[in-house]
Amino acid sequence: MGEDIRLEIRSDARLLGAIRSLVRCYVGSCGFREERVDEVVLAVDEACANAIRHAYGGRKDRKLELTLRDEEDWLTIAVRDSGRPAPAERVQRKRLGARKAETLSPGGLGVQFMYRVFDEVAFEPGVRRGNRVTMRLKCPKGR
Amino acid sequence: MAMDIEMRDDDAAVVIKVTGEVDLYTSPKLRTAVLDALKKQATVGVDLSGVGYMDSSGVATLVEGLKSATDAKKDFVVVAPSSSVLKVLQLSRLDKVFAIRESL
Repeated sequence: MGEDIRLEIRSDARLLGAIRSLVRCYVGSCGFREERVDEVVLAVDEACANAIRHAYGGRKDRKLELTLRDEEDWLTIAVRDSGRPAPAERVQRKRLGARKAETLSPGGLGVQFMYRVFDEVAFEPGVRRGNRVTMRLKCPKGR
Repeated sequence: MAMDIEMRDDDAAVVIKVTGEVDLYTSPKLRTAVLDALKKQATVGVDLSGVGYMDSSGVATLVEGLKSATDAKKDFVVVAPSSSVLKVLQLSRLDKVFAIRESL
């Protein structure tokens, strides 16, 4: 069946609210409970925000592509950009947490949210340009 | 939905009341408000009871506020975080780092 939604979005942070509304509606219709929907919305927002901020360095005139599909009991959401490929170190899974303010480093938190929310996360930085991140979540049984 | 900021400045503290959604688009405005408030007062509170959504850029803003406050030997307090804010702080494993109070 392929994708349910393929969306081209200008790389402007102002549009993140609209993206969240769409993702919220779509994921809700896949049968996830509300708390799970909130987490997915957050993780997708982070993926788009990362592309805007890091791949495009805040440039607003580039394009992101968001695809959503619900197939064979898996929700699959991908975000693609054509900006600067992310260094491998930036998209690694890390342990979170700090007890004292002095040791805090909030950088890269969004990537860790993506790992924590989805069952599978695959970052595919391009060689010269572009990134694709594919996030997958098992759909609830008996929906 | 955008974000609104309201400042309450009394003798003891500045409280920044945030309403709406804190994301990559709106968090720079919160960052400016937090850093300005820290220049004026020894105690700064950020009231997040009216925040329906916050992402990692909001968390990063709070972390920056806490670090600046700690460096300047001032107090930085997260006031009445909404359930969605608390969840993001928990997801960040940072809910124990902030001083969280119901009111200020």
